[in-house]
Amino acid sequence: MMEVLSFFFNSLVFPGLLFASLIGLLYAGIDRKVTGHMQHRIGPPIWQEYLDVGKLMGKEDITPSAAQSLVFNVAPLIALGAVTTVMLLLPVNSAQPALTAVADLIVIIYLLNIPAICLMLGGYSSGGPFGSVGAARYVVQLFSYEFVFILAIIAVIARVGSLDLTAVVGYQAQRGWLILDLRLIPALIAMIISAQGKLMRVPFDIPEAETEIVHGALTEYSGPKLAIWRIVYNIETLVVAGFIAALFLGGPVAYTIGGFQIPGVADFLIKTLIIVLITTILRNIMARLRIDQALKFYWTFAAFLAVLSLMLVLVVP
Amino acid sequence: MTFVVPVGPQHPMLKEPEFFRFEVKGEEIVGVDIRLGYAHRGIEEALSRRSYKHNVYLCERICGICNVVHSTTYCQTVEQLAGVEPPERAKYIRAILMELERIHSHLLWLGVAAHQIGFNTLFMLAWRDREYVMDLRELISGGRVHSAMNTIGGVRRDVRSEHVPTMLRGLDKLEQSARYYTDLWGSDRTILARCTNVGVLSKDDAIKFCAVGPLARASDVKVDIRKDDPYGAYGALSFNVITEQEGDVWAKGMVRLREILESIKIVRQALKELPSGPVRTPVELKIPPNETVERTEAPRGELIYYIRSNGTDTPERVRVRTPTYGNFASMKSMFAGGTVAEIPIVMWSIDPCFGCNDRITLVDSHTGKARVVSFDELRRWKK
Amino acid sequence: MPRILPQVLRNLFRKPFTVKYPYVKVEPPEGYRGRLAINKERCIRCWLCIHTCPARAISVDKETKRPSIWLGRCTFCGECAEVCPTKAITMTKEFEYTTLYEK
Repeated sequence: MMEVLSFFFNSLVFPGLLFASLIGLLYAGIDRKVTGHMQHRIGPPIWQEYLDVGKLMGKEDITPSAAQSLVFNVAPLIALGAVTTVMLLLPVNSAQPALTAVADLIVIIYLLNIPAICLMLGGYSSGGPFGSVGAARYVVQLFSYEFVFILAIIAVIARVGSLDLTAVVGYQAQRGWLILDLRLIPALIAMIISAQGKLMRVPFDIPEAETEIVHGALTEYSGPKLAIWRIVYNIETLVVAGFIAALFLGGPVAYTIGGFQIPGVADFLIKTLIIVLITTILRNIMARLRIDQALKFYWTFAAFLAVLSLMLVLVVP
Repeated sequence: MTFVVPVGPQHPMLKEPEFFRFEVKGEEIVGVDIRLGYAHRGIEEALSRRSYKHNVYLCERICGICNVVHSTTYCQTVEQLAGVEPPERAKYIRAILMELERIHSHLLWLGVAAHQIGFNTLFMLAWRDREYVMDLRELISGGRVHSAMNTIGGVRRDVRSEHVPTMLRGLDKLEQSARYYTDLWGSDRTILARCTNVGVLSKDDAIKFCAVGPLARASDVKVDIRKDDPYGAYGALSFNVITEQEGDVWAKGMVRLREILESIKIVRQALKELPSGPVRTPVELKIPPNETVERTEAPRGELIYYIRSNGTDTPERVRVRTPTYGNFASMKSMFAGGTVAEIPIVMWSIDPCFGCNDRITLVDSHTGKARVVSFDELRRWKK
Repeated sequence: MPRILPQVLRNLFRKPFTVKYPYVKVEPPEGYRGRLAINKERCIRCWLCIHTCPARAISVDKETKRPSIWLGRCTFCGECAEVCPTKAITMTKEFEYTTLYEK
């Protein structure tokens, strides 16, 4: 009985749906505020994203008559389920995640792809030309960033010698953070570049380029379904940041300062916020690339960084 | 498989309603169909129903961004018809206002171009610095956008001497930021990646399709009405005609950014050499039958006004050829072989102003037939 | 290294350029063409303003027999203020007003 209750608590409240969406939306608000200040303007208040999502939730639910309604309606829910599950597999409060699975790095890589696939399905099923173009672009982008993303993870796996995220975090607790290992610096850079593509931020916001294809795959979405997509997107930001934090920054560490026990979740929040702010800076200093340029960039420069890191880990003792 | 990407009449890329139908194979553009006429307002007909003096303000409203150059061209045309010469000081004040307008228009172009390639930070910063030039316009004319300075036979307000130091200070700020953006446009790697070798208009095509303004100058065609056929005070002011060799979007941007620096130079010189004297001459506005053509260099290119008078105080016919209309012909050759991702920036590279462009012909999008709509008919539809 | 990065980081620690408009007011410069004001005592009923208005926004008020300006049509060109022989029409610096579409 306790196990069932704790499972429900984990998946719905902490670190699952409620916690993840609240923090994800907060990070999106911080991102928008910082963006505003970088552009020398005031920007929206930090809680703006809550207001936006709340307002969208209260709107009328519309399914376009040209859309494949089943796929169109279910896609955001599956994506939400997938990102929430990743949240359960990440070390949030301590090195031990809420849900343990064997070889969970592979599970995380797999689950992180589900929102992308749902986005494509949603775009293709929406029945609009912009949705189709956006989905087609996202397919290309998926094939470009995913390779680099996985190679960077393999570099970490080769360094630690385990496919288990818990083991990676435990290894860092004993031997120091992996970011301090010079051989893994290129892998970290490659990871952040591919995260930029995964989260569709400038210069890789090609699948939802506003001036070209309105909002890409999400063009036809509105109301509560769009709100769910926004939550998915924001949780995905948090999840990818948490994943990078766990791989390179030692995951959540509980500190004791002057007798106070600071829980690991505070450390998790600080580390993820730093990574989100790095992506915010990156998205404000560049123009959007074309899809062919993005593909070329990923398969040359970013892939080179990841391979270099892997080689260094394997060759240099 | 080709499918159609409709761009417009409402689309985030377009700032004004116009319809472009792109046939797309994957990401590549195989065909483009341009349908104009969504912003038609019947202005040319309205111009021939109002008196010469009232028309100054209607001409200003053909285009919001280049309003001074429209009213200046109109006033010059009527002055030529009536055989009067505006005072020298009025000519200089007109030149100052037109150059401030050019700076403002090009900074606006830079901001929107940055937005089209997803560079929102540059968009915000360029529009922030555009505020300085808006403030200067407000200072000397009393309005941020519509200056309402021109009248037939001169200008309505004088530039006061106490405003000159403020103007020079504002110009210094503008020059600093314009230099920064010129640097940035020439060196930022993502801008270069998006803008070089995109939407290329070769020199031959530019001449063949009669491109005007910065579009032609970016393709190394040295046309500038201010130099080729000096009007107003431009004969006495010294400046260079900016040209670039490449003909791509980057070159078009570079021409505009370097023109900002030239314009700042012109305003400085005009403020320094501002002759003294009256600012307007009285004109008798009963003009005997005659016709004339006047052309000026608007921020977007060559602007032509044709007016035929018939002895009364209203013109019989006014025809306006805006620069955007002259540039539409080059558009197809710029799009050919491009990708969907290039559409916004290539379209914006001609700095289109559809509000200027659509005035007289209405195209029925169902039958594709073009027909001319009379002013009365339009009025009836409005009701 | 992107050229705009120093500027962006500097902006992060500067006061935003935006003016918080309804709370902070920016005074328009001298000679701003704002809302028109009519001094009814000085009006001599020459109706020059009605003839000169390019937007035909000025009409005769039936009750007071003085010109009245419909701000919904006014283009703020200032011709009426310029042409008025007694300076009964003046342009104020006021720019906050609304008007109905109907007259």
